[in-house]
Amino acid sequence: MKAVRAAAAGLVLAATGVAAQPASAPVAPAADCPPPKAGAAVIAQPGLRATWQAEPTPAVSRPFAIRITLCPARAELLRVDASMPEHRHGMNYRPRVQASGPGAWTADGLLWHMPGRWDLLLVVRVDGQERRLVQSVTLR
Amino acid sequence: MRRAAVGLLLAAAGVVATAAPRLLDFTADERAAILAHGPWPPPLVRDPANALEGRPEAIAFGRRLFHDRRLSADGRVACASCHVPATGFTDRRRTAQARQDEGPRNTPTLWDVAQQRWFGWGGATDSLWAASMVPMLATGEMAHTVPALAARVRAAPDLAAGWRRAHGREIPADDEAVVVGLAKALAAWQATVVSPRTAFDEFRDALARGDVRAAAQYPLAAQRGLRLFVGEARCSVCHSGPRFSNGEFGDVGVPFFVPAAQGGGVDSGRHAGLLALQASRLTRLGPHHDGDAAADPRALLTRQLVMEPRHFGEFRVPGLRQLAHTAPYWHDGSAATLADVVRHYSLLDEDRLHADGERILRRLNLSPQQTADLEAFLRTLSTPAPRADQRSMASPSTHTR
Repeated sequence: MKAVRAAAAGLVLAATGVAAQPASAPVAPAADCPPPKAGAAVIAQPGLRATWQAEPTPAVSRPFAIRITLCPARAELLRVDASMPEHRHGMNYRPRVQASGPGAWTADGLLWHMPGRWDLLLVVRVDGQERRLVQSVTLR
Repeated sequence: MRRAAVGLLLAAAGVVATAAPRLLDFTADERAAILAHGPWPPPLVRDPANALEGRPEAIAFGRRLFHDRRLSADGRVACASCHVPATGFTDRRRTAQARQDEGPRNTPTLWDVAQQRWFGWGGATDSLWAASMVPMLATGEMAHTVPALAARVRAAPDLAAGWRRAHGREIPADDEAVVVGLAKALAAWQATVVSPRTAFDEFRDALARGDVRAAAQYPLAAQRGLRLFVGEARCSVCHSGPRFSNGEFGDVGVPFFVPAAQGGGVDSGRHAGLLALQASRLTRLGPHHDGDAAADPRALLTRQLVMEPRHFGEFRVPGLRQLAHTAPYWHDGSAATLADVVRHYSLLDEDRLHADGERILRRLNLSPQQTADLEAFLRTLSTPAPRADQRSMASPSTHTR
């Protein structure tokens, strides 16, 4: 599996200190996907797009959930995780992933216990292939 | 190293400039980091797993129980024997003094304990009431059994009446429910043990409202130490938030080998805590949750915990409020003074930390001035005296068997 970095184009998720940062040049979004909801972060690869929103806004050591929409809707969200590459550790919790509608998923039980850069990982299966979507988020 | 102070205020006489209050020119990032350590006290959040929290009858009963030696099998010790209110809810000893054996761990303070996510140095429990059961039932501590303790409650008219008043119902037939009921009353009282505001809080709030004159009253050494704390020393990476703890665990290079005099072996900290938690029925996932566990975010965290090699030798990140009154420090009480703690980080043995582990800590190599400044800041997180004279902390007459 090849990890492909997110194309978030400097998207600011919230004014309270959480920002998603592009880790590489943007790529074209998947075709035929509806516009993302206002405020949603976008991770796109050729033929696959994930948009996600946190609830509540992530703050240091506060549990939160993320609502994810996959396009195409037949894509299956297998796993959600996050790690701090500069600290070389992940979360102390394994998020629970549940389907909530066509192409819609919820992951809860996330907790980022330190400020700094977190890499959010979505593992998705689409058309029999596992794909890894990664987005860097800075928590202040 | 840092920019010069601004806003120098001359003394009223206009001649003693060196003693005038000053406020460092904190950057926007530094200000944001400082403000994140408040406000204090935080809003009250009740634990849905304990219906007794906030119930006056339960708080009163829990306070009496805290000093009641009948909670130990031989009637020798009470909770307050180790968590001494007058000394910051600690016993000021390296390891707990009232144990029947000499255990390997330091008595943690109970200041602000209800705001913790995990309890004990290894986080073996996920609620304050479950944590309160541990010493009552642990061999070497109060050494009770559930049936014996339940029988003692039923046989002692004052305990039985207190239990009924606290819960507003009759004592159940199930022994475990009786003992859990005691622990929940103890937790209800401990949830009221919130540390007082400090000089740091006055400074933080003055900064938040832009009151330069009031903020400048905060000692300059403490301001410099605070700048280190949130800046290059990176203390606030783990010691975050109003309680100065992220509520999780870390390995800061304190040895986890237990001296032979205290039983020998290894204290694996969070690793052992996770094993105990997963094996326990006294958690938020068990039968004693008073609310809807499915709607309790903390129950979800208990369910979703992971265990990794890095957890071996990690210990709970303690809060820092009232720190000056809770020596000695570390999970094993091996740092006698606050200066010893600062020196540990200054001279940190990075080789001691897991070779493939976290890259958060590094040797600080603090100058004498920086060492003094950091300690000066840490001392402003405490009131001048332990403040155990508050009415709710007063020790009632101690019951014996």
